[in-house]
Amino acid sequence: MKRLFVFALCWLMFGAWAETETPLKNIEVGTDLPTLERGAETVMTVCTGCHTLKYIRFRELAKLGIAKDKVDAWRGSNPMGATIASQMPADAALAAFGRAPPDLSLIVKAREGEANYIYSYLLGYYTAPDGTTGNHYYSVTRMPDVLSVAGVTDPAQLAQLNQKARDVASFLSWAADPHAQERKSLGYYVIGYLLIFTTMLYFLKGRIWARLDKA
Amino acid sequence: MSEGSILDNADRRDFLGKATTAIGAAGAAAACWPFISSMNPSLDTLEKASTEVDLSGIAVGQAQTVSWGGKPVFVVHRTPEQIAAMKNSQGGKDPQADADRAKHPEWLVVVGVCTHMGCIPSRTEEGWLCPCHGSVYDNSGRILHGPAPKNLPVPPVKFVSADKIIIGEA
Amino acid sequence: MANSIIDWIDQRFPLTHIVKHELTDYPTPRNLSYWWNFGFLAGFVLVLQLVTGIFLAMYYKPDVSMAFDSVQHIMRDINYGWLLRYIHSTGASAFFVVIYIHMARTLYYASYHKPRELMWWTGQALMLMIMATAFMGYLLPWGQMSYWGAQVITNLFGVTPYIGDSIVLWLRGDFSVGDATLTRFFALHYLFPFLIFAVVGIHLVALHTVKSSNPSGISLADKDNIPFHPYFTIKDLFGLGVYLIVFCTFVFFIPGSFIEAANNIPANPLMTPPHIEPEWYFLPFYAILRSIPDMLGGVVAMGLSVVIFAILPFADRSNIPGGARYRPVYRAMFYLFIIDILVLGYVGSKPPSGVLVPIGQVATLIYFATFFLLPFISKWEERWMRARGLSPELIALLEPRPQHDNMTQKGEAA
Repeated sequence: MKRLFVFALCWLMFGAWAETETPLKNIEVGTDLPTLERGAETVMTVCTGCHTLKYIRFRELAKLGIAKDKVDAWRGSNPMGATIASQMPADAALAAFGRAPPDLSLIVKAREGEANYIYSYLLGYYTAPDGTTGNHYYSVTRMPDVLSVAGVTDPAQLAQLNQKARDVASFLSWAADPHAQERKSLGYYVIGYLLIFTTMLYFLKGRIWARLDKA
Repeated sequence: MSEGSILDNADRRDFLGKATTAIGAAGAAAACWPFISSMNPSLDTLEKASTEVDLSGIAVGQAQTVSWGGKPVFVVHRTPEQIAAMKNSQGGKDPQADADRAKHPEWLVVVGVCTHMGCIPSRTEEGWLCPCHGSVYDNSGRILHGPAPKNLPVPPVKFVSADKIIIGEA
Repeated sequence: MANSIIDWIDQRFPLTHIVKHELTDYPTPRNLSYWWNFGFLAGFVLVLQLVTGIFLAMYYKPDVSMAFDSVQHIMRDINYGWLLRYIHSTGASAFFVVIYIHMARTLYYASYHKPRELMWWTGQALMLMIMATAFMGYLLPWGQMSYWGAQVITNLFGVTPYIGDSIVLWLRGDFSVGDATLTRFFALHYLFPFLIFAVVGIHLVALHTVKSSNPSGISLADKDNIPFHPYFTIKDLFGLGVYLIVFCTFVFFIPGSFIEAANNIPANPLMTPPHIEPEWYFLPFYAILRSIPDMLGGVVAMGLSVVIFAILPFADRSNIPGGARYRPVYRAMFYLFIIDILVLGYVGSKPPSGVLVPIGQVATLIYFATFFLLPFISKWEERWMRARGLSPELIALLEPRPQHDNMTQKGEAA
């Protein structure tokens, strides 16, 4: 009876995870500075044409380790404390695309599949038979094929595009969760401490309860 | 468990109890730190600790008020006459040489909060007059007469270039 | 020195007496299993939520134009703000895990029987208050799911005949969920935990009057009770350590588990997210709501499904102690009920289409049938068990004992 119960529990839990959409391409998000720097370069020169990053300040890009002259080039006359704006004003973008380009600060967390989704989406453009461009992952997208992916077959070019998309996804992952590294390293210390402390508590409990048998 | 085994040793038991308590107390204390730290100024608030000021817009004889950490700071582009007058005096009840207050004599940077009760003094020919209780400061921000006890404070100032300063950094 | 201070206090306030009587020397059944740790854990989670909540409230802004930004400010700029936020969001889910297990323990051992009915009912009151607190708290980040979840659920009150629309207007303070709603939810979300604290006090006073139940199902002899300190203080601390390892794994490594992707998008009253679903701990009740085609029927069913637990002390008419431990039919009902809740939870997490609809309806039926059939099944089961002969263990348990049994009336001779 108990085994049946446990089995049913497991089956239900795993059943809940079954998905039937276009499978995402999975990447390992890069957290090293070169990846983040390249990703920032693409985001700051290409994406901010239409998108804002309203929760990221130039100062934070500099603190990440990106060279000051690069950051200065991106911010122009804006102070270091300014948030990252887009070159196209919001109403112009709305008029041009019919929908406001979403802010990118949290885009990785705001999509199911997170960084894998962003990566797949950027590379997911294709040319339809009628000549229009579509995206496998978001069919009603108004966003143009910014990395010029559609129709590319040359493996060297594809490899370059894959890396570019991965850099962007990695940078946007950082932007969505700048404290991720700090959080994980603190986590190792906390769990380590708890494992030691709980083990000590376990033995202390055994010691104290042993008094009962003698009573 | 036989009598006399290590686990029955009262000293060992006591050590485990004491050690566990000590480690637990240390963990509990460490766990308090994030809460306490969260009440300290945040990253963006700390940025207010330094303010960039572009001096090019301030003509000779003019003064500009900027905000530094929530407080007003007077940035004065002093005339040669004012500089000479200040060099020749030590101020009033809080004597101090002008050279100690203005490293670059043509620029005086002082915190615009009266050292009496905290009102913001108004600019005059001779320096400043505090409207609240009548304290009078000279063109070096030194208290001449009135109830204020001290000169207007001089914040740390860094000259990045001829026409740009950072208030809050030395 | 410390002793003389304590003496000074003792002359004016029963400090030593309270600590001895209610904590250190408090008699606790020696056979309590780890399923009895969860009450203490619930108290710990409550305190942690309260503390993190207060520190978050130092920076959170309950205004529709600032709420979402203030949460990002906490996450990015405030020292350890991300930690406070993740502890609070994970803690909300942890709270429900703990109280659901705590309830399941009570259901399994049928501890809600006399004399613990009031404990069960104060516990029910606590569950309702915690649900309300969680619901209101979820609106505060002002994300897409926050907004639309609140919009859908406040809408439900409109099914009340005649005054439904007025009630919804009154609840929201506006025609749809808006600034008035956000501010009042914040005020109440801040208040409720302190009310919960007070009801926890009542819950504990009741507990100390009737003492803990235990896995055997009947009150133990006095010699089988042991002092709470050090036996259960260390056991609770050990249980806390295990809990914290699991909890911190979520907080530090997978904190986004309980934050819906859609809630990382600021609320947009003009666009609904593709699936609106509540947090996992509300899913079974959400499934029951959707399983009844009629809206009023659905709301009534959902409300009933939450409060129906209150009838258990009366619905379970068996005199066999120990709940599922000795009663095979009750045990089967218990496991069936748990599986049923999991099925309902799954149904609640998916859009209501295809085969899930009849599955949800059957599961809802089973849910209520468990309660409505229990009076008959429990009595039949007892008759059946006695007819075939009770086990010697059970007979021994049911034997009236000469020692003081704290289930007897007050004033009876020990």
